[in-house]
Amino acid sequence: MSDSYIPSLAIIRKITIENEAKDIKTFDMVFRHTEAMKDFKYTCGQFAQISAFGAGECPIGIASSPMNEDCIQFTVKKVGVVTAALHNLEEGTTVGIRGPFGNGFPLERMEGHNIVIVGGGFAFTTLRSLIKFILHKANRDRYRDLTVIYGARDPGELIYKHDLEVWGKRDDVNLNVTIDKAVSGWTGLVGFVPSVVKEVGPSSQNAVALVCGPPVMIKFTMPVIEGLGFSPENVLLSLEMRMKCGIGKCGRCNIGNKFVCKDGPIFTYKELQTMPKEY
Amino acid sequence: MKRKVIKKSKIPVLIKDLTMEYEVFAPVKQRGFVSFERVSSGNEACLEFQNTKKPPKEIFLPQTEILFSYKVSKNGVETTESPAVERKMVLLGVRPCDARSFVMVDKFFSSEETRDKYYSQKKENATIVGLACNHPLSTCFCTSVGGSPFGKDGMDLLLSDLGDKYLIEALTEKGENLIEKLPLFEDAQTEDNDKATELSKNAQKAVRSRVSVEGLSKKLDMMFEDPVWDQIRKKCVNCGVCTYLCPTCCCFDILDEVTDDGKRVRIWDSCQFPLFTAQGSGHNPRPSGREMMRQRIMHKFNYYVDNFGENFCVGCGRCVRECPVSLDIREIIEEICSAETK
Amino acid sequence: MNSVENSIRDVARKLLSEKKVDLIIGYEQGKVPLRTTPCFVNKIEDVEKLVWNACCDANLAKYSVGRKEKVGVVAKGCDARSITVCIIEKQIAKEKVFIIGVPCSGIIDRKKIDMKLEGREILEATVDDEKITLRGEDFKSVLPKKDFICDSCSTCQHRNPPIYDVLLGEKAPESTGVYEFSQVSGLEEKSTKERWEHFSEELGKCIRCYACRNVCPLCYCKVCFVDQTLPAWFGKTNDLSDTMIYHLVRAYHLAGRCVDCGACSRACPMGIDLRELLKKIEKTMKERFNYEAGVSLEKNPPLGEFKMEDSQEFIK
Repeated sequence: MSDSYIPSLAIIRKITIENEAKDIKTFDMVFRHTEAMKDFKYTCGQFAQISAFGAGECPIGIASSPMNEDCIQFTVKKVGVVTAALHNLEEGTTVGIRGPFGNGFPLERMEGHNIVIVGGGFAFTTLRSLIKFILHKANRDRYRDLTVIYGARDPGELIYKHDLEVWGKRDDVNLNVTIDKAVSGWTGLVGFVPSVVKEVGPSSQNAVALVCGPPVMIKFTMPVIEGLGFSPENVLLSLEMRMKCGIGKCGRCNIGNKFVCKDGPIFTYKELQTMPKEY
Repeated sequence: MKRKVIKKSKIPVLIKDLTMEYEVFAPVKQRGFVSFERVSSGNEACLEFQNTKKPPKEIFLPQTEILFSYKVSKNGVETTESPAVERKMVLLGVRPCDARSFVMVDKFFSSEETRDKYYSQKKENATIVGLACNHPLSTCFCTSVGGSPFGKDGMDLLLSDLGDKYLIEALTEKGENLIEKLPLFEDAQTEDNDKATELSKNAQKAVRSRVSVEGLSKKLDMMFEDPVWDQIRKKCVNCGVCTYLCPTCCCFDILDEVTDDGKRVRIWDSCQFPLFTAQGSGHNPRPSGREMMRQRIMHKFNYYVDNFGENFCVGCGRCVRECPVSLDIREIIEEICSAETK
Repeated sequence: MNSVENSIRDVARKLLSEKKVDLIIGYEQGKVPLRTTPCFVNKIEDVEKLVWNACCDANLAKYSVGRKEKVGVVAKGCDARSITVCIIEKQIAKEKVFIIGVPCSGIIDRKKIDMKLEGREILEATVDDEKITLRGEDFKSVLPKKDFICDSCSTCQHRNPPIYDVLLGEKAPESTGVYEFSQVSGLEEKSTKERWEHFSEELGKCIRCYACRNVCPLCYCKVCFVDQTLPAWFGKTNDLSDTMIYHLVRAYHLAGRCVDCGACSRACPMGIDLRELLKKIEKTMKERFNYEAGVSLEKNPPLGEFKMEDSQEFIK
């Protein structure tokens, strides 16, 4: 992990448009120098600061699984200056990657447990990294049942459609994909993520729940999760904050006595309950 | 460690000698205030001053600093690191509150885990010559937050003003090395030491402004949602004066500046500015002055205490003197301490 | 006996008890000599906190913008004019503000006093109509008040609020024989090169704290041009060219709106004279459009409307 402010150079090898609105793209990146690739040892749930040279840097969750030695994937939603600049880049352009930052999901602690993954909208990116990691044949048998509940506003907004298709065909993952309101042609689940979680009703026995999504989804999903019997230390959430340095120095991701970039972004619900509600 | 004296009349010569080997920063009179500037001759410096307008933090953490530069071409991107800082510096005339602030910021920027090389390189190459305060201002409250007008934290040498001369005390090896090289000092006599001790006692008493921070951090633990913040934030206009002039405030932003080539720069930022925590999604966890004011107070008197065991304030009083609407942090602390909590 | 001060308290008591306003915004004495601080009173017993003196420097119009409740605001001539501009620009509803007009003979310029005392600390200060008496650790100094009021006050043409709901005390004598724009000629006489060097030197001190913008009642934009990112108009570093753009553009944004209350200059920690360019622009607005900000609720700001008779010689 690099603690300097200088990014390692990487080339965009492939760009995939993820949604119908075309404002979410996945970038496959390859480091220009192999040592940088070796140094960039990351785990699921971490993020990196991506430089669009000329526009600036922004924090993006890592969407590829660490088992993928081929490239690093970042899924970027166009919301501001730097993300817009990234979206305007072509394959072959050089960008910068600084990181990996953050604490990542506690993979070791999750071993031997049933895993319940709840994701909404664009926040699904690091969860996708985790799902791919767990489903990899080298890792699968260290984890027990895997339940995934993922929702988006409408079918066009669902990302990682290829992965969803592949996972849906597997028998070692219980995949539940939902959209907010019924749309003609959609034969899958319909309903907001919190109500689908209730319907699916995953057991909390020996289970760890991971919940990532927009604040409104978290607000309504947490009571359902608690109602299913999950204790606060077994529920993990990923916080989103404006982040710049990634190493707990610039001050802006400070919540209470913690820095989201350094002590997070993954926190248990129990930890969040002791932190000021400033996220 | 050794104690020496130097006549005030010799100070310009001292500065001139120091400039041979070091970059010397000293207080310089501007129009209406004093600030730390690089001096090339002894006559530019003015050691008869209360305190500088801006704290000396800007020497180690400049308001604008280039982290690296880059060139974008058809062939890709080439980055060039900023040159390492090798030059040695002397900061002459740093008040004990400001010197103490270095110790606090060091814990944050120069910790073993993540050493910020831009800050640390400059800091490690600097020798800090402190200047004790014979006449603390009425807005100074260093003694309430663990400091002292004759405090020695964070400096390599301490100057005490004895009237026509300074007593100079080396506090570190770096400090000793500095005075050993120069022939301008004479040994301190008993009466010099006695006078300094007396001045120190008087200065402690002269810090009249007392703020009780006893139990403040513990109290703040329970006050995140307290209505007291609605009262405290009323006058504040959320400019950046208090944070920019505060010796311990060190939040920054990182952005790209492009002219012919690109530069990744680091600039001062403030928790009082509207974009500080604004997220790309449009959500801002600190949408109004109430949350921003709360963050400033909590960070200084609660969060930093949790992480490092002391208040993140040295009691220099700059925020009290310079606030455009005369908000007084001492009053805020009193209001919090006297607020009833459920 | 400060009769205006007593009148302010009386009016405040009356307005609050009759529930004509929900909140009174005035001044209270500060902890540091020569300073007052904005005071928010919604309980009758707190009315005693309100003061009125030559240190009441904040432009309280700033706190009147964007309020849901009805407020009574203590306003000097310049403050009342700022409120008027805000009413015209629909940032304050006329029926939601009660202007408590006070006569003002000038606000003390603390920076001028600091320069005179060469940085020695003031421990006690008293101000009356004629003089300022200052005491420090080892000095006492008596200064003639008229030489130490703000530059904006020495050329002030509205020592009494032109628009108000109640006007307290006796009217302050308006300044006579003082050319309103006397401070601009120094700037006008400079050559272009000299002006550039002058502003470069002054604005080079700026630390981009935005105190000037944040104390100005007319800088009420929800997103200031400084903070816009798509597009970003200029940089946020303290590079001189970026700093110049900030100040020059802010001055232009205030054309025909600035009332020269001087709050920005007073707020600047680095002592930059921010009024120079603003005053020149104010002069231009008067000469070209015969317009003075905040003296009438009927006239719209010139840069907010177009009239057929507006000068068009710049269209070639």
